[in-house]
Amino acid sequence: MASDFSNRVRLRLYELFVERGSCPSKAQVAASLGCSVNEIAKAFDELAAAHMLVLQPGSGEVLMANPLSAVPTPFVVQTGASHNPRSWYGNCIWDALGVIAMLQGDGRVLSSCGCCGESMTVSARRGEVSCEPPGLVHFALPARHWWDDIVFN
Amino acid sequence: MLLFRSEEHIDRWCKAWRLTRGGVLSIDQAWKLADAWYRERMSPNWRRRTVDEAHELFASLGLTSDFWRFS
Repeated sequence: MASDFSNRVRLRLYELFVERGSCPSKAQVAASLGCSVNEIAKAFDELAAAHMLVLQPGSGEVLMANPLSAVPTPFVVQTGASHNPRSWYGNCIWDALGVIAMLQGDGRVLSSCGCCGESMTVSARRGEVSCEPPGLVHFALPARHWWDDIVFN
Repeated sequence: MLLFRSEEHIDRWCKAWRLTRGGVLSIDQAWKLADAWYRERMSPNWRRRTVDEAHELFASLGLTSDFWRFS
């Protein structure tokens, strides 16, 4: 269970991520909340321990604010109106679809077959989803092992 | 969690990685799972699901095998 402060940090992190279109640093979250980088680092650690964030191993900056990825992945998500398109990275196909769900609009995921590399697009429009060409989603690890190696998963 | 063209492509990928086949979802199931899991993630009141709540969600999508259990 994360503290009230860590929950505030989590929410502000997501808000900044979506406002900016890229993941904010610890320093940027600290400036936004008027607190120290050290306080943010401690909150990030607490959130990571509660499996609510995944941090980069060296810097302690955010790697995953699920469903969003702070770094490029093979799951490109496009959302927003045609006059104001937004682009994101999902951590996996589940998270990529989760980005569209979290932003509560229409969108599409540009990805490819994990086996042969053929280009695939999954579109979500008004709550209905379609895949071109048709496809399936595979979860390699059972649920009890998802957090054993979340980056592989 | 990856996207594949077909069951055959999943099996080929598992063989290459020396993994047993895991859980396979239709695109519609994956969307419903993502929607339920993430829709409220930016809400101030969001909290992690309990294990029982996660199992309930999986079951509502027909995911009832041991593969979908956290414990």
